Amino acid sequence: MTALYVLDVPENSPLATVAARDPEVRVDRIGPYFAITADGPIVVDRRATGCRHAVWYSAVAGVARDSRIVQHDKDALRVEPVALPPAGAPS
Amino acid sequence: MLEHRVQGVDHAAFPTFDPAGTVRFYRDVLGFPVVHSICAAGWGPEDHPDFVHFFFDIGRGDRIAFFYYFGLEPVHDAGRGDVYARFGPDVPEFFVRSRHLAIHVQDEADLLEYRRRLDDSAWPVEMQIRHETIESIYTHDPNGYMVELTRAMRPVTPQEDLDANLTIDALLDVVAEPDPTFGKLLARKAELIVERAADWEPAR
Repeated sequence: MTALYVLDVPENSPLATVAARDPEVRVDRIGPYFAITADGPIVVDRRATGCRHAVWYSAVAGVARDSRIVQHDKDALRVEPVALPPAGAPS
Repeated sequence: MLEHRVQGVDHAAFPTFDPAGTVRFYRDVLGFPVVHSICAAGWGPEDHPDFVHFFFDIGRGDRIAFFYYFGLEPVHDAGRGDVYARFGPDVPEFFVRSRHLAIHVQDEADLLEYRRRLDDSAWPVEMQIRHETIESIYTHDPNGYMVELTRAMRPVTPQEDLDANLTIDALLDVVAEPDPTFGKLLARKAELIVERAADWEPAR
């Protein structure tokens, strides 16, 4: 599963709103954070959020270990699931 | 949690080889009152020069202070950096520009007032930037020190304090291991959010 966490402050909330437009993406809460999850990729278009750069590049609070940011630029944020080695496997 | 008893900046001190320019900048351009000075004959085991230590009020009784040492020549050529520290061409610009003093102002009107004062001087504003939650103006004083004046565009929310503490705890975990990266920080912070954020209550 892909999981991305964003702190709920006024300038970040458009990111969660835009992410939630994808029917494959769920937006829940953990305390004051948006927990944005999906079975597949999470893609957020920066221009759709209206976020300017200072906010855009500092809005991600956390990315779960089984997820990875593969794109975070002026166009989009894209987080994809990664296959973790099975427990006990050599790293 | 240890009791938090301190009360802000008493003074932050910097050397100067240009007291005239320094007084023009802080007192005459910005309007920061001179509030204290010490004139001292050199003493001590080192060959310490005679000096003047002088202070400007930067608001709420906090102060910025300078040392002027009689007879001391600049310790390095100007070039990149300031009169205290110089940087060679191998040092990236973002690092040279990282250390600065930011002075708080109340609102946009006050920020623009200081912008007007600087723009009418020999040290005009070099940048005015809205970082979304704060807006700042920047210049360099006659000594090459970067000075920022900044206003908050909204109050800091309680959840930002939680977030800051999770960031720092995650950072300490990541830098305790080899090869710290931003990706590792975000992964560790995600774990701390899951562990600790659900039960968080804003302090009253």
